[in-house]
Amino acid sequence: MSYFRITLQRSGIGMPKRTQGVLKALGLRHRMATVFYPVTPEVAGQIMRVKELVSVEEVEKPLTKDEVRAERRPDPGFYLETAAPR
Amino acid sequence: MFGAFRPTSSLYGGLLWKIPWRLSKFQKQRQRKRLRAVDTVVATLDKALGKQGITTKAVERWKEEMPIEQVMEPRDKYTIFDRKEKKYRKSIRKLPKWTRVSQRINPPGY
Repeated sequence: MSYFRITLQRSGIGMPKRTQGVLKALGLRHRMATVFYPVTPEVAGQIMRVKELVSVEEVEKPLTKDEVRAERRPDPGFYLETAAPR
Repeated sequence: MFGAFRPTSSLYGGLLWKIPWRLSKFQKQRQRKRLRAVDTVVATLDKALGKQGITTKAVERWKEEMPIEQVMEPRDKYTIFDRKEKKYRKSIRKLPKWTRVSQRINPPGY
């Protein structure tokens, strides 16, 4: 079972109501919001409606909201050393 | 000097187009990038559905009717048909929301 990873790249502001409705139905409320849906013809049709606004990837597993956030977090540039056992 | 009734050449002269007719090379580059982004989305959908042996009308129709960015003619990428224009073509930026809509095909012969 694979999933679509859909990210809203361009805002739906000013687009027709049908297009904005599709974004709402997909749960894409803000730019750069990411949602996961299983690969089905229904979801594919919805993506086709908003194909100019989103970027799509096919992934094996859906990530949780926290995992998506962790992906975006930049490398802190340091690491903490732990005391060596004596 | 300032305000709504300032004497500018567009207010005095009447018709004055300040928007360049052509897109700059950078605008054209971004336009091609957007076209390719849409192509990528459709290709991803097609590939994912194809793995499960499903076909969708919306995707099939798009693939049948719409040329991909690489085979589109420059005049279709950057201009759009308009029956009122001289030579029947105007810049694609005249199309409302032109960076967020797909406008790829024009009447044959124009």
